[in-house]
Amino acid sequence: MRGRAVTDMGLEFLARVRNTSTWLGGVIALMAATYAHPLVGLAFGAGVLWSLVNLQLLERAIVPLFGPARGTPEGTRRVGIALLGMLFLFAAGAVLLALLSPTALVSGFMLPLAVIVVKAATLILLDSRAWGGIVNHRWRAGLAALALAIVTWFALGALTNAGSQPAEHATVAPGESAGHATVAPGEGAGHATVAPGEGAGHATAEPEGEASEEKEEGFTNIIALLAGAFPHAAWAHFLEHYEILVFSLLIALILLVVAFLASRNPQLIPSGLQNGVEMVVEGLSGFFISIIGPKQGPRFVPFLGTLFIYILSMNLFGLIPFMHSPTASLNVTVALALTVFVYVQFIGFKELGPLGWLDHMLGSPRDLTGWLLAPIMLPIHILGELAKPISLSCRLFGNIFGEDMLLVAFASLGVTMLPFQQIPFGIPMHALFFPLALLGSALQAMVFTVLTSIYILLMLPHEHHDEHGHEAGAQHAH
Amino acid sequence: MDLHAALSLGLPLGIGVAAIGSGIGLGLIGQGAMQAIGRQPEATAKIQLAMIIIAALAEALTIYAFVTMFLLKGKI
Repeated sequence: MRGRAVTDMGLEFLARVRNTSTWLGGVIALMAATYAHPLVGLAFGAGVLWSLVNLQLLERAIVPLFGPARGTPEGTRRVGIALLGMLFLFAAGAVLLALLSPTALVSGFMLPLAVIVVKAATLILLDSRAWGGIVNHRWRAGLAALALAIVTWFALGALTNAGSQPAEHATVAPGESAGHATVAPGEGAGHATVAPGEGAGHATAEPEGEASEEKEEGFTNIIALLAGAFPHAAWAHFLEHYEILVFSLLIALILLVVAFLASRNPQLIPSGLQNGVEMVVEGLSGFFISIIGPKQGPRFVPFLGTLFIYILSMNLFGLIPFMHSPTASLNVTVALALTVFVYVQFIGFKELGPLGWLDHMLGSPRDLTGWLLAPIMLPIHILGELAKPISLSCRLFGNIFGEDMLLVAFASLGVTMLPFQQIPFGIPMHALFFPLALLGSALQAMVFTVLTSIYILLMLPHEHHDEHGHEAGAQHAH
Repeated sequence: MDLHAALSLGLPLGIGVAAIGSGIGLGLIGQGAMQAIGRQPEATAKIQLAMIIIAALAEALTIYAFVTMFLLKGKI
């Protein structure tokens, strides 16, 4: 199918139209959701999607009719499937028209058609003689590009100025101080905006209608968008309230699916997904065994490796657009740290026995000085054990949250850099900090798990190792 | 000076002061690790691991100040 599509000029044109419309439709839908109402963006996106699916089905229906597969049972079957799909599509279109705003839906539906017209026009223009005359000369081309840029600039400014006056929502707060509102939404649309780091409380706390609960600032995510789109639906409120849980469960689900797919059909000589997953697992296994020791290590690799992969995925999840890092909330990190705390104490009880655990807590007194110091050592050890989960959770939370806040602050700075023309574009200032965020996410996941493995190591029986050095100590463990 | 003024003055300053301490600590850690790696390049992996752990411990102090700021920010 694809090979023929590349050779066939018309199909290639359609594919390019599809790509352009997808990108354009996505961007316009996002802008509509941000600057107007989220529902409008949703409707526009649905319209574009409907139109694209329609085009695809048309292509599916027409290609077998006129291609080499004409008349064969295979071709007839394809046409039938496409026609059936179109039936469903029209039903879905009727439902969408009843549910969402028809204007946005229709304009979304028109977008691919507009793209086709513009693309065809540019094709004609590119072939024409006048265009060749402009482009082939360097100075003339530069001058033309400059003129085009200036005209676009002013036209866009005039357009957005005119557009933002009548619409009561969708006002880009102009020329205020950088920390202040980038986008001051009207009612309802409340939290579905890039809320800046500082002053967001004042910027978004204005919605008159519902006195919504304190929402922490950050990039808007898909659940906040949904909650903004359906402000009166119970399920949206539920989702918004348990947003962090939903995201962390989603990540767990993704990891489960990946693990399942990778191990579903194990090959002796792995390839693809299985290869990648095996590489990760082997790397983590070697890493933790090198910390804990070859005798005791393998027992703890599943727990520690899971912890690492889960935390890393949660940290990185916030960098995906419309997603949110669950670890940027203290609830999740405290839960993780408490799990580690309980697990480490359990290991201590199991490995050392209750008396051995008490001995460990007393600082392992073996002589008179040790017994004299034991009453002091006990509270110190208990405090130390209790401090571990606090420091683990606060470190992870602070780092990831701070990272996200940094990105938000720079993103809002980038948005407020072009306030004078009221253009809904910004400079992606925060792109510079993405590498930093990636590094920090990986590092914090590693620090969390390495500290956990060291806590486990401290709980394992290890008194007699010191004089033998590392290798002997590892041998001695049983 | 009321509570608001004190908080809005003190919170950023507190983070700054904590960052100074952490910065000095991180610098010393990095210096020590670099020297150790320079002396014994074959132990790079072990040194790096220990360095990252200790760096995380040192950095955590600033993070505590940061978390404290966010806990108290609502009172401004």
